[in-house]
Amino acid sequence: MATASKPAAKVATNGATKKAAPPIDDEDSHGLMGASGQGYSWEEEYKRSWDVLQEDEQGSLVGAVNSIQMQMKRRRLNKDTKVVQRGIIRHLYLVIDLSRAMAELDLKPSRVECTLALAEQFVAEYFDQNPLSQLGVIITRDALAEKLTELSGNPTDHVDVIRKKANREPRGEPSLQNALDLARTSLAHVPAHASREILVLYASLTTCDPDNIIDTIDALRRNEIRVSVVGLSAEVQVCKTICKETKGTYRVVMNEGHFKELLFENIPPPPIAMAQNMSNLIKMGFPITRNFDPPTLCACHHKPIRKGYACPGCSSTICDIPTDCPVCALTLVSSPLLARSYHHLFPVDNYKEVIPGPPLPDVLATTATPLAGHCFACLQAFAPKAGASNAALVGLRSARYECGRCMNSFCWDCDVYVHEVLHSCPGCVNR
Amino acid sequence: MSCAEDINLLAVVVDTNPAAWAAAASDPDRPLDFVKIIEQLLIFINAHLSLKFDNELAIIASHADQSQFLYPLPPADPLDAADDEPSKPANVYKQFFDVDRAVVSKLKELVDDKRTKSAEHENRSMVAGSLALALSYINRIKRANENNSVQSRILILSISPDLPSQYIPTMNCIFAAQKVSTRIDVCRFSGRKYGGESVFLPQASHITAGIYLDIPEPSNLLQYLLYTFLPEPSMRKTLLLPHKDQVDFRAACFCHKNVVDVGYVCSVCLSIFCSLSKKCPTCQTVFPAPK
Repeated sequence: MATASKPAAKVATNGATKKAAPPIDDEDSHGLMGASGQGYSWEEEYKRSWDVLQEDEQGSLVGAVNSIQMQMKRRRLNKDTKVVQRGIIRHLYLVIDLSRAMAELDLKPSRVECTLALAEQFVAEYFDQNPLSQLGVIITRDALAEKLTELSGNPTDHVDVIRKKANREPRGEPSLQNALDLARTSLAHVPAHASREILVLYASLTTCDPDNIIDTIDALRRNEIRVSVVGLSAEVQVCKTICKETKGTYRVVMNEGHFKELLFENIPPPPIAMAQNMSNLIKMGFPITRNFDPPTLCACHHKPIRKGYACPGCSSTICDIPTDCPVCALTLVSSPLLARSYHHLFPVDNYKEVIPGPPLPDVLATTATPLAGHCFACLQAFAPKAGASNAALVGLRSARYECGRCMNSFCWDCDVYVHEVLHSCPGCVNR
Repeated sequence: MSCAEDINLLAVVVDTNPAAWAAAASDPDRPLDFVKIIEQLLIFINAHLSLKFDNELAIIASHADQSQFLYPLPPADPLDAADDEPSKPANVYKQFFDVDRAVVSKLKELVDDKRTKSAEHENRSMVAGSLALALSYINRIKRANENNSVQSRILILSISPDLPSQYIPTMNCIFAAQKVSTRIDVCRFSGRKYGGESVFLPQASHITAGIYLDIPEPSNLLQYLLYTFLPEPSMRKTLLLPHKDQVDFRAACFCHKNVVDVGYVCSVCLSIFCSLSKKCPTCQTVFPAPK
């Protein structure tokens, strides 16, 4: 239990020293920053988001909006499409700092509201992208750590507990060590083939620990638990050390949009290091749906159901999958669930931007193979380059992106859609 | 509930695989005539357009080696440019006329296309590719109408057997459809010499809450289309529609393509195997010896 109140962390003291420390690509995110140009929410006196938008000579905002969109697009382009081994079956504890530092108002409406709203989105998206994974929630306040949910695969449990009023009130000091120790002991029984992770959302600049936190770091490293931290205020040395030692990532947020981005970076399964590769074949069952008339009690919740599944091992009735059979402990999944994670393993290659050359002389233009006049996927016409009134608008509309494998051209919207939602190239699957 | 301002977007994917339709035409029990099927489909499409002025439509042909939009036509398509608006009969609704003309002429182009005659493309259909195109188009329409809600659905007229190599793209499309709550309805023809059991498509309709219907009597296709697939998604709750009782969620193992109900799954790449092995053939991971 937390008895001593010694701030074990070295605290960065002012904005000037912080600037260099966090691994943030400043020039990329420039368009999202506030008026001061510094970008840190807690440094800003007024929110002057309208200053980012500059009217062009015709008094239109289209150019400014487009350039922001293009910046976001470029950032997304950096996505790694290498095929790596990923720890698809994940076990993650989400640790949320609920100390007094969370009550600050620099993130709107407040740090705690912003964090918990994003945490809910994170839980939903996490299960969407990692269907076989599990998650648990831990909060830390009053120098204690409290486990709100055990590891489980049901998103509604976690969202319900995050929404509960009693779990939304920040108070006291946080205890990083207590939270990490609690998560570590809870992750101890996780099978070796699954990845163990802790994600900390940390607002405070201090921590109130009962013991030496360096010992905890060693224990985490021994247990091969990966700790990532998203900091809400300034960079803190102890967090940096933890992440470095456990091969996690440490990022500090600048504003609400950046916060979401950093948090959601933790959703795709992380690549696994070869050393900790404890892969294994897991025995799984694929149950068949069954209809019951009259309704039958399910083996898992003892509730009457009309539609359910039959465990292929022991034929007991299950109301929903994925789960472990309560009778014979066989892992029950469906093949679509497995397929849901295949796109992490076979990502779509990034499209190349095609820069149209100068307009060809008429003689050549008729002989050369013309560029397609429209997007392959959605038939959106590419705007002609010349003769349009608004240069920035044309820049966006006529931007075309080409798949390196099927050589089809796609518009900007489809490029984003293909890589973020569809996960397969419409040109390549048509061959 | 939907309100009157909703835009209804229907994307139809028509399987135009020549081999399957040829087999179906020569089936002794239930011969299928492609032309008749397309005629009935066009009536159904006209019915969809006539329900509301705002109703949107896309028709995609899923051919043996490509997928192609039949409607709407790509901008600046030679078809539009070449013949300058042939005289529209005075008593025909303009939209019906446009759709019918585009579909018929594009289909003719596809059938006449010599490239598809090669043997390697025999009896397959690019359903996954067509789904990808349909979803991209739906995404564009949704984006263009951000202020109105767009109710989108996809109807697949399917006759070809499943293509195992398209399993992952098909699944990706299904999940993308599920994300934007687009239902995938499947209308499947099967007879003794064609069709057969599909594994992917029932999953598609089950996951996206669509309807899967094996057409028992293809000559009455229009009735099935009008009664089952025409009502918009918001009306479906109040209708008694056909549904498939048992959906097969069993997986085929990667090693022998056997359908298994208990299998072994590689923890790294999630490939499914029917027996224990030392090394994963998909991702080359070496497994520790079983204890």
